[in-house]
Amino acid sequence: MKKLIILLYSAFLFLFTIFSYLFVDPNLSYLKDFYSGFAFSNRLLTTISYTTAILIFFIFYGIFIYLGVKKKINLKEIFVLLSITAAILFFSYPAMLSYDIFNYIATSKVLFFYQENPYVVMPIEFVGDPLLAFTHAANKIALYGPFWILLTGMPYLLGFGNFIVTLFSFKLFIVIFYFLTVFLVWKLSKKIIPLILFALNPLVIIETLVSGHNDIVMIFLVLLSFFLLAKKKIFLGTIFFILSILIKYSTILLIPVFLYVVWRLIKNKGIDWEKVYFSSSLLMLVAFLLSPIREEIYPWYAIWFISFSFLVPNKKILLYTSIAFSFSLLLRYVPYMFTGTYMGQTPFMKEIISFIPPALVFLYYVIKKKI
Amino acid sequence: MAFRIFFIIILFLLFPQVSLAQSNYVLPYPSGMPGSLSYKFHLLYENASRYWYFGDFGQFDYNLKMTDKYLVEAKTLFEYKQYLLGYKALKKSDFYFPNILFSLAKAKNNNKDISQKKIILKQAMLKHIETLERMEVDTPDTFNWQPEKALPTTLDIKTTIERAINIRKNVP
Repeated sequence: MKKLIILLYSAFLFLFTIFSYLFVDPNLSYLKDFYSGFAFSNRLLTTISYTTAILIFFIFYGIFIYLGVKKKINLKEIFVLLSITAAILFFSYPAMLSYDIFNYIATSKVLFFYQENPYVVMPIEFVGDPLLAFTHAANKIALYGPFWILLTGMPYLLGFGNFIVTLFSFKLFIVIFYFLTVFLVWKLSKKIIPLILFALNPLVIIETLVSGHNDIVMIFLVLLSFFLLAKKKIFLGTIFFILSILIKYSTILLIPVFLYVVWRLIKNKGIDWEKVYFSSSLLMLVAFLLSPIREEIYPWYAIWFISFSFLVPNKKILLYTSIAFSFSLLLRYVPYMFTGTYMGQTPFMKEIISFIPPALVFLYYVIKKKI
Repeated sequence: MAFRIFFIIILFLLFPQVSLAQSNYVLPYPSGMPGSLSYKFHLLYENASRYWYFGDFGQFDYNLKMTDKYLVEAKTLFEYKQYLLGYKALKKSDFYFPNILFSLAKAKNNNKDISQKKIILKQAMLKHIETLERMEVDTPDTFNWQPEKALPTTLDIKTTIERAINIRKNVP
């Protein structure tokens, strides 16, 4: 039965990878052989297919959690499952839902190829650069932290100037951080359930293994910092905490938690790590909810708080709200996918879809608790 | 009728409207002026930020920003009849100027397309010339600076402004 599930899951991931290529940008000359324009000319069918795919993702997620709860899946099988997931989705088209990976490459190119400061010079200033045809934020200076930009030197240089190789070396880079984070989740929790909740979460999988967002790198570094603090390595823990902030800045909100842990360590007092993860999750949820101040809420920002909330699965309200957010935020893409515009009803629909399911789940558990 | 039209055209050609060079380029607001404590810190920041603006285009931006800044500073100081300080600011604006051309040449050598930067520079220079020409009208040709306990100096403001205009007119 388990083998059949894994087989079906693999087949589904394979189909999802093929589906992702329906979104190839018409200006992406490097993949012109894969361009069909299907997603842009058959919006209804694409939207239905995408929504169905998300539902299937969550059905499998539910099955995996069930197997975990019933202790019918072991660590080795989870590792096999994760390897299959990463191996298949590695080949998916990364700009299916977001163009951020192109921004990462463009920013990296500004520094490592043109040798200009990406915080001063925008990619658009390099007239004639082929990346400009399909990079969506070329008219902005670097949006990310300096440590992220430095790290991107590795996948950029490994691309040897070939765009496709660079694109997939960025994906590989993110896949590595996904596995490192999964490893840390295991080390920190020592339980199978948090591992399944995080590693097989459809939002984590799609936003990390398909879209290649750098949020996983920030989360890895902050978890590593907590891991080192748990081992009483304050100096290294501090370094990695700072590096985490220098990826995407959001973990700056965890400074009070970090200082609390360090203070407890210095005072040789015990640390309730469940409380630490719970507080971290709430603070990162605040960062997530505050993100419209800067731009808007993007689905991948949920990785910030769900990574922590899955470490404390006994906090049921937080757990179910996180899962509801994972589901609703993946559907946040639907209004644009269907209408093809960011104007009109799209922004309103996006907010409704993103917040109604988690709000209902939250209310249900609050009422249930009171009764 | 034909003669009248011909006459009107000739009138237009003989008496064209006098217009200064005009550019859509926007110069910055005047920043802190010399004399204040914050100005010294600002100079330090300016010097340090030179390294932040690394790269050919970065240096182009930095030097253009500096030449703009000191031109505005000179204009403001001249308006407040602070001729010595204004004179120094104008010279400082000119000082940064060759660096702009040098960074562009370097960018070209590094195979970077500098066409957009050249357009920006041309627009900036038109605005500079426009500002300098107004400045030339509003400021005295020379000014005798009499410092306390030192010999007086004559500031040749007109020549300095004209030199600044010429530098900017010679942008390729």
